[in-house]
Amino acid sequence: MDNKLSILIVDDELSVRDSLTNWFMEDGYDVDTAEDAKVALNKIQAHNFHIILVDIKLPGMDGLELNRRIKAINEETIVIIMTAFASVDSAVQALKDGAYDFVCKPFDPDAVTHIIRNASSHIQLNQENLSLQERIKSLVNVDAIIGQSDEILNVLEQVRVVAETDSTVIICGDSGTGKELVARAIHMNSTRRFFPMVTVHCGAIAENLLESELFGHERGAFTGAQYARKGKFEMADGATLFLDEISTISMKMQIELLRVLETRRFTRVGGNREYKSDFRVICATNRDLKAMVDSGEFREDLFYRLNVFSLKIPPLRERAKDIQPLVEHFIKVYAEQMNKPTKQIGKRALKALQSYAFPGNVRELENLIERAIVIGTGDTIRLKDLPLEQTRPAPSWESIQEMEQHHIQTILDKYAWNISKSAKALGVDRVTLYSKIKKYKLQKHN
Amino acid sequence: MVNIRIIPMQFSRVGILERMLDRISQILRSDVRIELHPMDLTDCFDPVRSQYNANTIINKLSSYDLGSNKIIGVTDLDLFIPVLSYVFGQAYLGGTTALISGHRLENSRYGLPEDQVNYEQRLLKCLLHELGHTFGLKHCLNPSCIMLSTTYVEEMDHKSDYFCPNCLTELKRMV
Repeated sequence: MDNKLSILIVDDELSVRDSLTNWFMEDGYDVDTAEDAKVALNKIQAHNFHIILVDIKLPGMDGLELNRRIKAINEETIVIIMTAFASVDSAVQALKDGAYDFVCKPFDPDAVTHIIRNASSHIQLNQENLSLQERIKSLVNVDAIIGQSDEILNVLEQVRVVAETDSTVIICGDSGTGKELVARAIHMNSTRRFFPMVTVHCGAIAENLLESELFGHERGAFTGAQYARKGKFEMADGATLFLDEISTISMKMQIELLRVLETRRFTRVGGNREYKSDFRVICATNRDLKAMVDSGEFREDLFYRLNVFSLKIPPLRERAKDIQPLVEHFIKVYAEQMNKPTKQIGKRALKALQSYAFPGNVRELENLIERAIVIGTGDTIRLKDLPLEQTRPAPSWESIQEMEQHHIQTILDKYAWNISKSAKALGVDRVTLYSKIKKYKLQKHN
Repeated sequence: MVNIRIIPMQFSRVGILERMLDRISQILRSDVRIELHPMDLTDCFDPVRSQYNANTIINKLSSYDLGSNKIIGVTDLDLFIPVLSYVFGQAYLGGTTALISGHRLENSRYGLPEDQVNYEQRLLKCLLHELGHTFGLKHCLNPSCIMLSTTYVEEMDHKSDYFCPNCLTELKRMV
């Protein structure tokens, strides 16, 4: 049995030090000893012991004082107080001062084995907890959202501000802009980060199932409900509830949701018991909720309940500056994932990407880079590796003339250069269309 | 070949030890013999605890020069070490001397009917376990390995009298 844990035994009796040293060495621990508090403190300063067994009666500084000093050096150190004279007062004092346990000498072999095993588990759990907390922090940091444009920097600033509050947030943005990533960044930077972010994709769940999904159900609530099940409201107690595609929920569900958001109380489907849950709501939509309110598709009261803080993620085509860092990020991610050497992006390919409209936003860019890494050869992603031909360039016109030229070209292409149909679609006569073609030197594409 | 000497000390059932010799010899691939050396253990007795100090007895045993590599004392006395209320046996890791006691191995101590076979098994396990420590073996987590740390006889009954493959490999290296 090889244990990495180190133990310091502090006792003025040599026989006790020797016996315990031998006992713990047989269990595979690293063991050191000290005959008094002064020697112990010197050793503790030089070496980080996991567990320290301290005799309460020591020459000079006693065990209780030594325990306090050990805790001042490292609060995480486990101190077990030993004594030959059991006294409730001193035991209580030691535990109040942060000692892990208190044992009377001589110990039962089983008792000492259990105390050390429990202390080892405690240390292991603490270490695991710390490492998991670190991992959680690094999972979705605000810094993990890639971008250099003013637009994305503004989004990140808003994420930082809103994360510190407990307010409800609506994230608006086109499909593929990374609404869930932003929601996760808000959650991970909030005080609720050590609880999960419970996600509900409202648009992907049928209305009757959504009710059960959100509220949970009791056994026998409906056909097939063989077991009682917790809903997402219940699961999000202490955590964040992320409602994706909130615009898709029905009017009936909007009323139900409003009631829960106002009271944070609900009952499971088919049940009578009222449950209380403390959750923060972040929702996302790719539709204009205000316009939906105006058209009567979305309840106004729910809209105002949700719209405490609104955060808009601009589409990728409006932040061409972010394309290069995003491309470099996805190349790194997918090269590592596919165990391939990392690549560079060719100048022409990058220029093409920067002038591309990206209707699918960052998700589309990610897929393009993944595909390019799969099919591309050599150490550079070239234009031919990117399937951009079938798509239109991003509208980057500044003058009305440029816009007109592009629009006429698009319509002509759409009607396969049938002049009559194109003229009709454009609302001009054939002669005008011919003169525009001549003026802008428009040509048929092969 | 390693020489192991078993020294009965205030131990009445030497016949049991004689029956174990072949088994110990076979497992540890050693020359194992019993030697009788009368020893006064009066000064090892602690009147407050009414027990015998295992460390003091081991120190006495260590002073014997028997020309052997390992010495293990076997006694019927109730043993303790200063910090523990009792021990089944005691050895120094990688040392030359060990000590075991049959005092707490008998069923009668726990209000159960006598079981001679069981007692002999426990004694053999204790003896091999402590000798294992003298060969440098630490406690093992394998539940059936003889080097599993046990603090109750019931636990001892559950483990085998074999070294697990890992401990056996280590033991062969040491022997």
